[in-house]
Amino acid sequence: MIGNVIKYEQDNIDTDVIIPGTYLKIHDYNELATHAMEGLDPDFPSKVKDGDFIVAGKNFGCGSSREHAPIALSTCGIKAVIATSFARIFYRNSVDGAFLLPIEVDDETYHKIANSDQLEINIEKNEIKNITKNETYAIKPFSEIIAKIIAAGGLFKYKK
Amino acid sequence: MTETLFEKIWNSHIVVERENEPSLIYIDRHLIHEVTSPQAFDGLRVNQRNVRRPDLTVATIDHNVPTTDRSLPMIDETSSTQIQTLEKNCKDFGIKLFGINDPNQGIVHVIGPQLGITLPGSTIVCGDSHTSTQGAFGAFAFGIGTSEVEHTLATQTLWLEKPKTFEILATGKRKNSFAITSKDIILSIIKQIGTDGGTGHVLEYRGDAISDLSMEQRMTICNMSIEAGSRAGLIAPDEKTFDYLNNRKYTPKNYDELVDDWKNNLMSDPNSKFDKSFIIDVDKIEPQVSWGTNPAMVSDVTGKIPTPEEFGQNNEIQIESAKKALLYMDLKPDTAIVDIPIDRVFIGSCTNARLEDLKDAAEIVKGKTVNSDVSAMVVPGSQMVKLEAEKLGLDKIFKDANFEWRESGCSMCLGMNPDILKPGERCASTSNRNFEGRQGSGGRTHLVSPVMAAASAIAGHFVDVREWC
Repeated sequence: MIGNVIKYEQDNIDTDVIIPGTYLKIHDYNELATHAMEGLDPDFPSKVKDGDFIVAGKNFGCGSSREHAPIALSTCGIKAVIATSFARIFYRNSVDGAFLLPIEVDDETYHKIANSDQLEINIEKNEIKNITKNETYAIKPFSEIIAKIIAAGGLFKYKK
Repeated sequence: MTETLFEKIWNSHIVVERENEPSLIYIDRHLIHEVTSPQAFDGLRVNQRNVRRPDLTVATIDHNVPTTDRSLPMIDETSSTQIQTLEKNCKDFGIKLFGINDPNQGIVHVIGPQLGITLPGSTIVCGDSHTSTQGAFGAFAFGIGTSEVEHTLATQTLWLEKPKTFEILATGKRKNSFAITSKDIILSIIKQIGTDGGTGHVLEYRGDAISDLSMEQRMTICNMSIEAGSRAGLIAPDEKTFDYLNNRKYTPKNYDELVDDWKNNLMSDPNSKFDKSFIIDVDKIEPQVSWGTNPAMVSDVTGKIPTPEEFGQNNEIQIESAKKALLYMDLKPDTAIVDIPIDRVFIGSCTNARLEDLKDAAEIVKGKTVNSDVSAMVVPGSQMVKLEAEKLGLDKIFKDANFEWRESGCSMCLGMNPDILKPGERCASTSNRNFEGRQGSGGRTHLVSPVMAAASAIAGHFVDVREWC
C-alpha cells in the first residue's frame, strides 16, 4: 500500500475535530466526507488524495464512539492513520468496518516521517518504507486478534 | 486464585474463549440512540437479519432533540429525519423506545439507571462513549461503534479483547463535601494520569472516598473514565447501589435474591492483583476548572493558567499543544482562574444533570440573579429528573435567577441540536469534553462542577465556590 503523508504534529486529535457533532445527522458518507477534519484543518477534504495516510502523535481518535470519524476519513481516501497510539473505540471502529488501518509506530518513527513523504506500508512484514527518504521503520505488530479481523475484512466477515 | 471485580464480570459472560482469539462476550443490556444506530439497522436489513434479543434492547432519543417546547414542529430537517428513522427502526424490529414525548425520555446514561435497566454484574453496551457512566453500579458498561452496535443487535454478543485492570484508590475525606464534588475528583485524576492514562484498562475506583459518594456522584466519576482513555469505569456495588435500584420501573421481580447474590460476589477479592494502580488523596482536592482543550488541561480554582513550558515539562509536543490550546481559548499564562470572565453557563449532560446536581446548583443560585453579561441554562438529564426537580421547586429557583429551564437531552454538551455556543463565546459547562468546537464551532469550554457553574453564573467569572457555602 503506497501513499503520501498528511502530517499533524499533535497528540489527542479527537473525534470532535475529525467530524464535528453537528454533522453526525448526515447519513450519506460522501456528504460526511466533505466535513472530515473540519475542526482541525478545514482544507483537508480538498487536499487529501485517494490512498493518502495521516500521521499524528498519541491518543489519536480520543473522545466519542462515533464511527463517523473513520468513515469520514476513509471516504476521503485515507487508507491508514499512523500514530504513536490510538484511543480504543476509534481503533476498533477503523478495523471493524474495514475503513482504514490504524498503524502504531514509535516516537522516533513519528518524528522521522515528514509531511508529503511517500510511504509504502507492508503489514505482512510489519514495516513502513519511506520511499522519499529511503528509510525503513518498524510497525508495532497488530495483536493476533486484530490481525485476524483485519485479514477477514471486518467484524462481520470474521467468522468462527 | 483471586479475581478483581472486572474479571468476575468478564468470566461470567464468556461465550467462547480461545487462546490468541478475541473472546465472545454475552451482552445483557443494549441501549441505543438516534445517532449511532441508523447504519447498524441498515446493515441488518441488507443482510436480512433480525434483532436477536429485542427484549434486552432499549432505545431513546437524546442527542438531537430540541430542549425547547416539544409541541412545536422540529425546524432541523436532518435531525427530524434521524429521529424518525429510529422510530421506524424500533417499530420494525420490536424494540422499546422512549420517544421524544415519553415521560421516560432522557439522556441514555441517565435513564438506564433511573429505570432500573442498569444492573450490577451485567454487561451493558451503547453506541456512545459515556456508557461508562453505568459502571457506577458495578456493571461492565462501555461504548461501542456502529459496527459493534450492529453485531450486538444481530447476536447479543461482541468479540472483545480482554482489557487490563487499573485500580484507582481514593483515600481521605473531602474538606468541604458540598463545594468539592466528584467532578473535581475525576478531573484531578485525569489531570494526573492523562487523557490516555487508562488506555486498554478498566478503571476500578475503590477506597473510603468512593464509598462516601452517593450513586449520582459515582456516576459522574465513571462517566468521565473515558476521558482518561479507559475502556470503562467500575465501582463495586454496596447498600447505596442496592437502595438506588430498588423499586425502579424495570427492577427485576426477584430483586432481593439478586441483591443477596451480588453482595456475596460483586467485589474484587482481597489481595487481588491489578495491572496498574494509582492513589489519590481527596483531602488535597480543590474545585477544578479546565483551561485548555482536553480534559487533562485542568487547574485548581485558586491557580493560574500555566505557561506552555510549565504544562509541557520538556515535552515539545505537550508544550505545542498547550500553546495551541491557549490560542484557541484566548487565554494568557499567569491569568488567575478567578479572573476569567464567562459568557455562558451550561448545567447539563450525562456527566452532571441528575437531580442531586440540580439541587446543589439551586442551593447556590437561590435568591440570587445571573450576572447581566451571562446567559445561563439548565438542561435536566431526563424528563424524570425534570419532573422531580419541579416537584421540589428547583425550576422556580432557576427561572427566578434568570436561568433558562429546558426539556431534557444532550443539548450543549456536543452541539448537535440548536443549543450551541457562538464563535468566541466562553462557557462554564458541567459537561465532559472541552475539545475545540465541541459545544459549537469556535466555542470555548471550561469544565466545572454544577456548584462551580452556578456560582460562576451569578458572579460572571469563575469563583471559588467554597467561599459561597
